[in-house]
Amino acid sequence: MILVSPAFALVAVFVLFPLGFAIYISLTDWPLIGPYHLIGGRNYSELIHDPAFIHSVLFTLLYTAIVTGPIFVVGYAMAVLVRANRRGSVFFRTAFFLPFIVGLATESFMLLLELQPDSGAADYVLGKLGLAHANTAWTVHYGLALTAICVFVIWFASGLTMMILMAGMQGIPTELYEAANVDGATWWQKELRITFPLLRRNIALSLIISVIGSFLAFNQFYILTEGGPGTSTQPVVMWIYEEAFVQYHLGYATAGAIALVVVVGIISAAQFYLLRDNK
Amino acid sequence: MSASREPRNTGFYLYFIAGTLASILFLLPLIWAVLRSFMPENLVTQAPTGSDFSHPTTANYSGLIKTNDILHYALNSLLVAVGTALLTAVVATMAGYGFARFRFRGSGVVFALVLATLMVPFQALLTPLFLEMHSLGLTNNLVGLALFYTTFNLPFGVFVMRNTFLQIPWELSEAAAVDGASTVRTVVYVLRPLVIPGVATTVLYAFLFSWTEFVGALTFLTTNSLYTLPLALLNMEYGSVGQVNFGYLEAGAVIAMVPCVLLYIGLQRFYIRGLASGVVKG
Repeated sequence: MILVSPAFALVAVFVLFPLGFAIYISLTDWPLIGPYHLIGGRNYSELIHDPAFIHSVLFTLLYTAIVTGPIFVVGYAMAVLVRANRRGSVFFRTAFFLPFIVGLATESFMLLLELQPDSGAADYVLGKLGLAHANTAWTVHYGLALTAICVFVIWFASGLTMMILMAGMQGIPTELYEAANVDGATWWQKELRITFPLLRRNIALSLIISVIGSFLAFNQFYILTEGGPGTSTQPVVMWIYEEAFVQYHLGYATAGAIALVVVVGIISAAQFYLLRDNK
Repeated sequence: MSASREPRNTGFYLYFIAGTLASILFLLPLIWAVLRSFMPENLVTQAPTGSDFSHPTTANYSGLIKTNDILHYALNSLLVAVGTALLTAVVATMAGYGFARFRFRGSGVVFALVLATLMVPFQALLTPLFLEMHSLGLTNNLVGLALFYTTFNLPFGVFVMRNTFLQIPWELSEAAAVDGASTVRTVVYVLRPLVIPGVATTVLYAFLFSWTEFVGALTFLTTNSLYTLPLALLNMEYGSVGQVNFGYLEAGAVIAMVPCVLLYIGLQRFYIRGLASGVVKG
């Protein structure tokens, strides 16, 4: 019991208490300094009519809808490519996974330079290919910024999907494939009839991790566009951050945060439900 | 047999070419950033040309150290990351051992509560955490940041360590005790080789998490001298007067990247072990 208490104390102080406290704050008009008042559900009723909040929710959903599919497809293809232990496979796995390890914040700073008009590699390469003007300013146009960030995130995150799917593929008994070979099954048939169904848990896990990651997006937008132009590329977490620590509407920001906790909690609970041992 | 060998070879070449091309796609941006960081500042802000790399210079790095005190911020990051890694290892090992070896009243509930942290996004708790940590004197405090990071690394760490201790055949240590080995000898010779991989996995994840974390540091640190590396880079982007010095920014980003790459390449078997045991079966 004593062994477990430090872990429990930390969770109590940094998770359980803040969770309860968040609900309380969300029912107040808490400013950064000065007294606050309980105002009941007013924050929530304002929230659902706040165009800025609704835009950030819709933008986050749009962003999630764009990147989830490509991350899964690219990750799956790479997992198929490197799942067997062949010459070079360890190197390839490392190469595909390194962008995830280095982290979005660091890479966003690197990308910032390459998205500059005239000096960035994005304009240079696309200009040579005749696909863009050499002085395209990527980060100050909504469509261009969103496109660049989506490509960037797909590059960043597919390595994680690859790792999760590969771990599952390597756990499938080889006898199944040998039996299928005896029956004369083609490569596609084996993928479709053996790999895909037995990989259900890993597929669900990789999709859930990817979707939650997209819902919580912040770094790449804060560093590359600062939510701009205007607030057009502001995801939910940035709305919360700006509302709380720039506008000092702590109560109102927390009401938005509670909505995020509920949504992510439901998805996570679905994850535990889907991945529970049914044996 | 020879008929089935031929397509296998073609298959191998296809695999190798596809793998090589994809590796270039995934690694080139990172390698490119390293190359860019050794270009003189005036070339960094021009369109790339073929002759850019004929005069490599460490000017960006020396300038960054002199004018932006980047080593100070790197040290802050290192202190927080090492502190988080050690604290997570100690707390998770204790709890993992407790959960694996003992059943006590409420142990199931406590274990569920620790794991439930996985379901709570800390990004959504920034306001209550800020107010709470502020009143405890833990904002603008590297120890406070490390405690916060440790907590959100605990579910994974406790899970990995509990599994580690569950897999240990305890008859082994009992046998050692019967043979007259002291407790210390038992721990060192019998348990250590079985426990170390779990600890290494926990340490690696906690270190990488806190080294790369951004929004928590942004919220809980407002004093410039306490900034971690990502915040120092952000300061160079938005805080500087006039033009952003992209040469410095690129060099700073490379400094932030290098430890991650080295640690991962050196310890990737522990990382993959964590993915297999902690996340996938979680």
